[in-house]
This record gives sequence, C-alpha cells and structure tokens, in this order.
Amino acid sequence: MFERFTPEARAVVVGAQQEARTLRSPTIGTEHLLIALLRRPTPSASALTRHGLTADDVTADVVRLTGDDLDADALTSVGIDLDSVRSSVEAAFGPGALDDPKRKPERGGHIPFTPRAKKVLELSLREAIAMKSRSIADGHIALGLLREGEGLAMKVLHDRGVDPFSLRQDLALVLNP
Amino acid sequence: MADTTEVATAAGSKDPSVGLRAVRSMRVLVERLEALQVQNARDQGWTWEQIAQLLGVTRQAVHKKYASGRGPLRRKD
Repeated sequence: MFERFTPEARAVVVGAQQEARTLRSPTIGTEHLLIALLRRPTPSASALTRHGLTADDVTADVVRLTGDDLDADALTSVGIDLDSVRSSVEAAFGPGALDDPKRKPERGGHIPFTPRAKKVLELSLREAIAMKSRSIADGHIALGLLREGEGLAMKVLHDRGVDPFSLRQDLALVLNP
Repeated sequence: MADTTEVATAAGSKDPSVGLRAVRSMRVLVERLEALQVQNARDQGWTWEQIAQLLGVTRQAVHKKYASGRGPLRRKD
C-alpha cells in the first residue's frame, strides 16, 4: 500500500520503526508515527509544532506513559541503588539481564505495526482520497492519526491540551492551500 | 548512593506516591531477580525441589510459576 506514499510519508513510516526501536518497543504504535512525523522538517510537522508539539516532548510523554516498572528514584527512597543492582546482575547474567522480559525486540529485527497504527495508515489513504490528492503525504498520516482518534498518540495530544478539530483544520490548510 | 540519613528520611516519608512507587518497583525487581536465579539454577541442573527449598516456597509453587509456560526454564529432557 506504500506505493502512493510521498517520500516524506515513507520517511515517517521508516522513522516510526526507528522510534520504536529506540524506545525498545516490541511494536510500532501510533505514538511512534507521531514522533516520526514531528522529526521531519515539513509544513505538516510545522503545523503540529504550532499546536505545541515537539518530538522531544512527545517522546518524554511516551516514555512516562509506557515506562519501565522499575522506578530508580522510588527505589533510592528505600536505599536501593538500581544502577548498582543492575551492574552486578549484568556482570553475572549479561547486558540487559534486568530489563523487562516483555520489552525485548530483536536487535535489527522486524518490528510489526500495532493494529491501530495500521488503521492509521489505512485512514491516511482515505484522507488523501477525500482531499482528492493523488499521493499520500505525511500530513495525511497526521490526519489519519486524528481520524482514528484513539491510541497513545491521541492520549498525548489530549494530555497536552491539543484541540484535534483546530489541528485538523490547520493540517488541511497545509495540504490544500 | 545517598548517605544514610538522607535515605532514612526518604524511607520514612509519609508521601504515599513515593512509598507506593518504591514498593511496586521493589516487587518488580524481586520478580526479575527471581526469574533470573531460577533459570540459572535450572541451567545448572538444580531440581525444582532444591530451588523451592531455598526460595522458601513449595516445589509445586515454583514449578507452576516457572515450568508451565515458555521454553527456556523447561527441563530439556
């Protein structure tokens, strides 16, 4: 389905995979699409930025929302130094031995899209068709995110007080000036 | 590591958001260490009985928790 994607839109899809890998997520979710969108220097990304979104802020939100259950600060409060526990465990059992067993994507391996992220990409095609566009641009992926309306990306948007209707209008204006 | 007084003050903190997060993190930490140690013991040929004895639980409990599911902890024979 990617043949109709513009180079920018493809870069977002590839970028989302990279974001998922960096965040050690076993799947590519809507949040990784959003971060990848924000990393591109495109007019649509600027529209997102105008609504107060940056790649770094969204990444921080995602880390907070999906983060490891081991809270180093909390452990310090009861006298446990997580770093020193980690280094002695890794000395015996190898790097990453103390990591969450559920969050171990294969290094360099294929990371699958979540059903919701797939849905977003399908909806980006529909957004493009609705706007009578021949190709799917990165802005259509952003519209797909908003249209899908759920998932971690939307939670971040909501928590940051972004108005989805006004963002949608801005994106439409960028795509169809 | 923070000095003793500092730790004692924090541990005595009455802020539930600090205390409860610490408890949760300790529980997670214990679970991960237990899984590592049980796997290691199995790799070295320990029986479930021996492992259970040192963990202070029944053989059935440790077997049920670690032997039923995924491959690595299962006995190879």
